[in-house]
Amino acid sequence: MGDKTTHFGFQQVPVDEKVRRVGAVFDSVAGRYDLMNDLMSLGIHRLWKRFAVEMSGARPGQRVLDLAGGTGDLAARLARLVGRDGEVVIADINASMLEQGRERLLDAGIAGNVDFVQANAERLPFPDGDFDCVTIGFGLRNVTDKQTALNEMYRVLKPGGRALVLEFSRPVAPGLKPLYDFYSFRILPLIGRAVANDEASYRYLAESIRMHPDQQRLKDMMQQAGFEDCDYHNLSGGIVALHRGYRY
Amino acid sequence: MTPSTLLAAALEPLLDAWLRQDPETLARFAALEGRVVALHVDGPDLELYFLPAADGIQVLGRYEGEPDTRISGTPPQLAALALRAPEDALFGGGLRLEGDTALGQQFRELLAAVDIDWEEQLARVAGDVVAHQAGEALRGAGRLLAQAAGTLRQDLTEYLQEEARLLPTRIETANFLDDVDQLRADVDRLEARVRRLRGRLEGT
Repeated sequence: MGDKTTHFGFQQVPVDEKVRRVGAVFDSVAGRYDLMNDLMSLGIHRLWKRFAVEMSGARPGQRVLDLAGGTGDLAARLARLVGRDGEVVIADINASMLEQGRERLLDAGIAGNVDFVQANAERLPFPDGDFDCVTIGFGLRNVTDKQTALNEMYRVLKPGGRALVLEFSRPVAPGLKPLYDFYSFRILPLIGRAVANDEASYRYLAESIRMHPDQQRLKDMMQQAGFEDCDYHNLSGGIVALHRGYRY
Repeated sequence: MTPSTLLAAALEPLLDAWLRQDPETLARFAALEGRVVALHVDGPDLELYFLPAADGIQVLGRYEGEPDTRISGTPPQLAALALRAPEDALFGGGLRLEGDTALGQQFRELLAAVDIDWEEQLARVAGDVVAHQAGEALRGAGRLLAQAAGTLRQDLTEYLQEEARLLPTRIETANFLDDVDQLRADVDRLEARVRRLRGRLEGT
């Protein structure tokens, strides 16, 4: 058990170590997470998230689980869609991120139909068939065992429910990859150092994106978890992909 | 990502900011909470979904449920909906309204009712005195402008009709139109007379 390892960015670390290290990264960046998102993606992450919410098909009265919901970007929009009769549960393994999210949503006047749960995506504290929709936005790549997390997402979905995975992926647009690599390994850590004073965390973010399964592999993993009618949409030339799968 | 998503992303903050300037109308949006109004643009075949709520309006480029109301038309028709009186646009403009027509009407009326009190908004940041003076100055300038525009229009009319004689005056136009009517009646009478004479010729 002790010699089982997994990747943390480009390094190999023991499984237990990864959880601790990812936790440390997000404790470190929580305060400036939103600002950094805007800086790093030039604000485009808002469009990616908006698209994900539109694809969620969330309707009034539904129950939605937003995994790794952290600072509540997806949840804020979802909460308006499900209305007063619906409910959005934000789950995140990191207490600092949840704290940020709670304050942000309260400040935005979004309350009453939003709940916060500190939970590990690999072991969700919810019964089977509890949600109409499960989303995870820029969170799956930080989960130690991604397949288990996908299995759990499948388990808590109602029949007819759908899961959405918004995550960095492989650029497919011609000529984009070298530019993107230069940006994420040279520029990104610099921005990280200048704004959040934490170069290492942002280097980890860039590396973890490279270690994340590409479009087809993630789709295969979703199918393995039991999802049907799986598809994906490349956004911004494949820098980000939105995967969707249904439970029937 | 579809054009509708991008359009919705661009439109929502604008619309939201605009509505926030008129808290009273915004409060009336609460009555429409939970309803969905779709706006279908015929030419580019775009559809946008408006989800009003008490704290603003959400605009989506995709909605999987069935909207309560769908308003469709070409871009100019839809623009007219926003600019003209609702009856004109809905019944004269060739717009199609499906679903809950009352909701569509109500939604449009609420949008039309947004009345931004600029002075009040300015007072929030600059204080009452400055805002009032700025308002007075603006209103004065507005009156002056309206006066100048009126004079200019009158002068231009006189020049074109009396000096350059490029355009007829109202009375000349009316007389001309009367003459045309007179001529048409004369022709009709002549035609009838010819028909009657020809009939008599062929009868004998």
